[in-house]
Amino acid sequence: MTKSIQILIWLSVAVLGALALGTIALHRGEQINAMWLVLAAACTYAWGYRFYSKFISAKILALDAQRATPAERLDDGRDFVPTNKWVVFGHHFAAIAGPGPLVGPVLAAQFGYLPGTIWILIGAVFAGCVQDFVILLFSVRRDGKSLTEMAREEIGVVGGFVAYAAVISIIVILLGVASLIVVNALKASPWGVFTIAMTIPIALLMGLYLRRLRPGKVLEVSALGFVLVMAAIWGGQWVSQNAAVAPWFTLTASTLAIIIIVYGFAASALPVWLLLAPRDYLSTFVKLGTIGLLAVGIVALRPTLHMPSLTRFVDGSGPIFAGSIFPFAFITIACGAISGFHSLISSGTTPKLIRREPETRMVGYGAMMAESMVAIMAMIAACVLQPGTYFAINSPAGVVGQAPEAAAATISGWGFPVTAVGMHALAQAVGEQTLFNRTGGAPAFAVGMANIFSSSLGGQAVMAIWYHFAIMFEALFILTVLDAGTRVGRFMVQDALGHVWKPLGRTSWYPSILATSALIVGAWGSFLWQGVKDPLGGINSLWPLFGISNQLLATVALCVATTIIIKMGKARYSLVTLVPLSWLVAVTFTASWQKMFNPNPRIGFLAHARQLASSATASHAVSRLIFNDRLDAAVTGVLVCMVALVLMESVFLWISVLSGRMPARVREAPFVATRFATEEQG
Amino acid sequence: MNLPERQSKSSSTAAAELCSAKSFDFAQGRLTRASVPRWFFSATRLLLSTLREIFDETAYARFLAQHETSSCPRTYSAFLREQEGIKARRPKCC
Repeated sequence: MTKSIQILIWLSVAVLGALALGTIALHRGEQINAMWLVLAAACTYAWGYRFYSKFISAKILALDAQRATPAERLDDGRDFVPTNKWVVFGHHFAAIAGPGPLVGPVLAAQFGYLPGTIWILIGAVFAGCVQDFVILLFSVRRDGKSLTEMAREEIGVVGGFVAYAAVISIIVILLGVASLIVVNALKASPWGVFTIAMTIPIALLMGLYLRRLRPGKVLEVSALGFVLVMAAIWGGQWVSQNAAVAPWFTLTASTLAIIIIVYGFAASALPVWLLLAPRDYLSTFVKLGTIGLLAVGIVALRPTLHMPSLTRFVDGSGPIFAGSIFPFAFITIACGAISGFHSLISSGTTPKLIRREPETRMVGYGAMMAESMVAIMAMIAACVLQPGTYFAINSPAGVVGQAPEAAAATISGWGFPVTAVGMHALAQAVGEQTLFNRTGGAPAFAVGMANIFSSSLGGQAVMAIWYHFAIMFEALFILTVLDAGTRVGRFMVQDALGHVWKPLGRTSWYPSILATSALIVGAWGSFLWQGVKDPLGGINSLWPLFGISNQLLATVALCVATTIIIKMGKARYSLVTLVPLSWLVAVTFTASWQKMFNPNPRIGFLAHARQLASSATASHAVSRLIFNDRLDAAVTGVLVCMVALVLMESVFLWISVLSGRMPARVREAPFVATRFATEEQG
Repeated sequence: MNLPERQSKSSSTAAAELCSAKSFDFAQGRLTRASVPRWFFSATRLLLSTLREIFDETAYARFLAQHETSSCPRTYSAFLREQEGIKARRPKCC
C-alpha cells in the first residue's frame, strides 16, 4: 500500500472518529443511536494503537525484536512458555476482563452517557493501555517480576510495602463489593438463586467427566457445562412459577450474604478442586461467550440510547452514588479506563508467555483497548433503558422510598417518568417479583442486555431468559473471582506471616490455612455485611471505596513506570506516564478527601457518622452503622497516606537521578539474543 | 502464463476448472474444503489454540510431554495437583 493511501485511510478514520465524538458530545435533548458510541470508540482506539502506542514503543521503550524474553530464556514448560501472540492476547484479555467494566459504566450512567464515555475513551488510550503496556514490558525485561518486586527494586522498600498493602486492600474491598453485587442481584429472586445453585452440581459433574471419562478435555466439557447451564436457566422459570418450590429459593439479602461468606471460606480452606476448577472454566466460557454475544447484538441491532447525554445529577446529587463528576465518575469507572489491578496481571502470568518483545504492544496495549470496548458496550446496555426505569432499578430504598408508588413518584419528580405499574410489568416480563431498589449495577445491565436482545432474538417472550442469562453470567463470574481472590489473598497473607513465624507460611499446614482463610473472609465478609445492612444499599459507599483503592494501585504502578523511564535516561518522554499519574493523584486524593471529610452525609463517611450519632434513634444497628462509617474513613485515610509515601519516595528519587546525585541504574535482566529471529529468517 | 489463451476460455470451461479445483461440488451442491479461504482455517486454528491455552488444555499437553506419559485419570490428577498451586496464586481482575 502506498504511503499516500495510508495517509488517506488514517485521515478518514480521524474524520469519522471526530464526527462520531462530535455527535455524542454535542447532541442535547434528542436521542442518538448507540452506533455513534461504537464508531467513536473504534476510531479512537485505532488511532491510539496506530500512533500513540507506536510512539511509546519506538521512543520510550525501544522494543527490541532481537532480545530474548524470559519465556524463551527460562522456558520450563510450566510458568515460562513462549506462546503465540494471539494466544497470549486471548489469555491476557480473559484475565483482565471481569464484571468491573460491566458494572462501573452502568453505575456512572447516572451522570448521562457523555462523562463516562469520554473518560472510558481518553482514560483507556492515554492511561489504562499505557499502564498495562509499560508494566508488561518492564516485567518482561525483569524476568517476569511482579509489580511489588519491581516497586521494591526500582523505588525502594516503602514502595514495595505499599504496593503489597494496596494489593491486599484491593482484594479485600473488591471481594466485599463484588459479593454485594451478587447479593443484590439474587435477593428475592428464586429463578436466579436456582440457576446459580445448579452450577454447583453441574461443576461437580464436569469435574467427574474431566477426571474419569475424558481427562484434560476442558473445552469439550465446558461446552457441555454451558448447555447444562442453559437448561438450568430454562428450569429456573419453572421453579420461580411453582408455588411449592419457589419459597425454597427466595432468599433475603442477609441469608444470601451468610451463604456467600460460608462458601468463600469453604472455597479457600478446602481442597475443592473438583468444584472450583470446573466452575472457573465454565465461568470463563460463559464470560467470553456473553461479551461476544453482546458485541454482535449491539452492532446487529443498533439500539437507540434513551438516557440523555448529561443528567441533572452532574451536580453531585445522584441517587445511585453521591458526588460530582469530578472525581467520582473517574473512580466509578476503573476497569474500562484504567485499573491498577491490571498491573498485577501484566506483571503476573502474561510476561512469562511473551515470545518476542514487540508483541507486548499488541498484548498490553491491545487487550486493554478490547476491555475498554466492553465498558462502552456496558454503557450502551445501561443507556438503552428508559432513564426512569434505570433509576428505579439502581436507586436504593433509602433514597427513593421502599414502596413502589413512592419510588416511582420520587423518580418521576426528577423528570424521568416511571410508573409502579410499568415497573411491575417489566419485572413480570423478566420473571422477577420486583425490579425496584436492585442496586449494584448487575440487574440494570441484565435488563439492558435483555432489552437489546429481546427486540430481535425471540422477542418479549424470551426476555426473561435473556435477563437471567445475564444475571447468571455476572453472578457466576463474580463467585469465581471470589474463589480465586480469597485464595490469592490467603496465600499473600501466609507469605507475609511466614516472615513472622515460619509455620504460618506453610501453605499445606491446616491451622495456618484455616486462620488465614478466616482472616481474609472475615475482612471482605465484614464489608459485605456492612453493605447489606446499609439503608443506602451499600454500593453508595463501597463502590467508591473500591474505585479509590483500585486507582491508588494504578498510581503505584505509574510511579514504578515513571521511575524506570527516568532511570532509562528518557526523562523527556516521562510525561507519557507522568500525566496519567498526576491525573490519578488528583482524582484519588480528591475523592478520598471528599469521602472522608465532605460535610454532606451522603458523601462523607464522617459526616454520615455524625448525622447518625445526632439522630434520636440510638440502637445497636445505628451504632454498627456509625462504626462502619468510621472504619471506611480510616481505611481510606490509611490507603491515601501509604500512596502519598510512595509518591514522595518516587519524586525524591526522580530529583536525585535527574540532578545527577544518584546513578540512573535500571535492574533489567542482561541482554541475550533471541534464537527466534534467526529461526524466522532461516 | 499466456493471457490471450486465458481470455479465450469459455465460461463453461472456467466453471469446469472451478469444479476440478474442488472449490464447490456442483453435483452435491455443497462447499468443499478448497472453497473455504485459507485464512478461515488459520483463524479457526488460532481461535482453538487460544481457547486451549485459556482452558489449560495446552498446559496439560505440556505436562504430558514433560513427564513423557500419556493421558489417563491418574496423570490428569497429578496435573491438577501441580496446577492448583500455580492457579491459586494467579489473580483475576474484577
